[in-house]
Amino acid sequence: MENPPDATVLGLDNVPLELPVAGPASRALAAFLDYLIVGIVVFLWGGACLALFAVRRGLQWWALAAFLVGLFVIEYGYFATVEILRGGQTFGKWAVGLRVVTREAARPGTAAFLIRNAVRSVDLIIGVPLMVLDDLARRLGDRLAGTVVVHVEASRRGAVVLPRAPRGWSAQEVALLESFLWRAPEMEPWRAEHLARQLLDCIRHDDPDLAARVDPARNPVEALGDLVRTAEA
Amino acid sequence: MDYARFVRLRSALWDGFEARLAAAEKDPRRIAYGDLEDIALSYRQVLHDHALAASRFPGTGAAHRLRGLALQGTHWLRWDRGDRLPGPGAFFARTFPLAFRAHLPHLVAAVTLFATALLFGASLAIVQPGAGTAILGPEAVEGLRQGHLWTESLVSAVPPVVTSSGIATNNMSVALAGWAGGAALGLGSLYVILLNGFLLGAVLATTLHYGLAGALLEFVSAHGPLEITLILVTSAGGLALGQALVAAEDLPRRVVWQRAGRDALVLLVGCLPWFVVLGIVEAVVSPAPTVPRLLKAGLGLGLEASFLVLAWNPRLPGGR
Repeated sequence: MENPPDATVLGLDNVPLELPVAGPASRALAAFLDYLIVGIVVFLWGGACLALFAVRRGLQWWALAAFLVGLFVIEYGYFATVEILRGGQTFGKWAVGLRVVTREAARPGTAAFLIRNAVRSVDLIIGVPLMVLDDLARRLGDRLAGTVVVHVEASRRGAVVLPRAPRGWSAQEVALLESFLWRAPEMEPWRAEHLARQLLDCIRHDDPDLAARVDPARNPVEALGDLVRTAEA
Repeated sequence: MDYARFVRLRSALWDGFEARLAAAEKDPRRIAYGDLEDIALSYRQVLHDHALAASRFPGTGAAHRLRGLALQGTHWLRWDRGDRLPGPGAFFARTFPLAFRAHLPHLVAAVTLFATALLFGASLAIVQPGAGTAILGPEAVEGLRQGHLWTESLVSAVPPVVTSSGIATNNMSVALAGWAGGAALGLGSLYVILLNGFLLGAVLATTLHYGLAGALLEFVSAHGPLEITLILVTSAGGLALGQALVAAEDLPRRVVWQRAGRDALVLLVGCLPWFVVLGIVEAVVSPAPTVPRLLKAGLGLGLEASFLVLAWNPRLPGGR
């Protein structure tokens, strides 16, 4: 999906930087994981207070008071505290590969994290419709704090970057080849081999010298990968 | 330059930048000045490579990788320092008083709305005594008939440590709701102000009806003034948020709203610690029959005056 024009910001030396904006679905998944964590922490805190109650009967009211305070702190403090400490990533966002950044792709300050989480209660009601309607998928807290949630692109770190490309191939064709090599391990073997043969035919047509190095006895996917992954001497 | 040559020539730089950045993210304290300069220089080169790849080789693995590196580098190197909160000393001596002064018009509006709702609630409960039963519940009203305030159970049912925790967290939740509700066009803040005013008015009138208004005022005298003030101050922050969203200014609405959010946050952060003090007062002092009436009233006035003096800070020069 193409990013909206608003998602491009100017970085150092006016170099345009396109923010990989996270959509409502991935953000909802991250929020679900975070609330799951909040639930587990509350449960554990309740268990700890119960244990205190069981161990020392004289401390029963203190245990109840500690539970009440802990419940409030966890409920209101989890998101802001974890985001401040982890530079814009709650554990849910970390698991899904998201991060909070400013509108200029920089690291937000403490106030921004506090603001975007202080209005979370309102966002529980109107946050999702706002995210759906906004090009940058911002909820109320993001608009108020001037933040955007982006994909960290961690998954792309494993992406294939070819040091060798068939002669005369355009960027689109190279991108196709890289995309295939990246996804081939997840494909059904017969389909991957079929596509690899088609790509090898194209290379034979456009760059016969390069194609001549292919061992026909080998698995076409492996042969194709070795051919373009090995840099020229 | 073709794609393969570009990748071969530059990938060592990208790998080096990625490795240095990973090390810096892992332990920023171990970064020497020279390392930081290296990272900054590599970042600039990566950014330019990213621009080249995005225009000449869009959609390729190198373009994706460079975008990721450029974003990662931007996030690590550029921090939004503009909205940093100062340390506690500077915050309560300067930042909070300045924000408090700037929000005075909103505070006046909040007080006016609160007083109006209070009068309305009181009038309704006087004209229609059933309203008091609906608000307080039949058990509390039955207790009033027998000459007992429902607040007496605060000390008899559970010890102060639990009551104060519950009261403090509940009051903070109300203050947060009043503040955050401002983001919804100010409607949430209005709701909190009007509801609190209405309830207080109706409850006062109901206790007056049963001849227990003096006892109720004695109960709330230690904590009530400051509690209401804090809720009104945080809600005034919410009203400012709502106003920034609704009323047009010369600056873009987005800028005005974000600035209002930062200013209002100062009010919220400055008020929250007082709720802890209030929770203890409300649970320990307010319901205690042994504490003299005058002492409770003095404590209430003292707390209110302390907050207002700190919030206004007379030693600070006038204006923003």
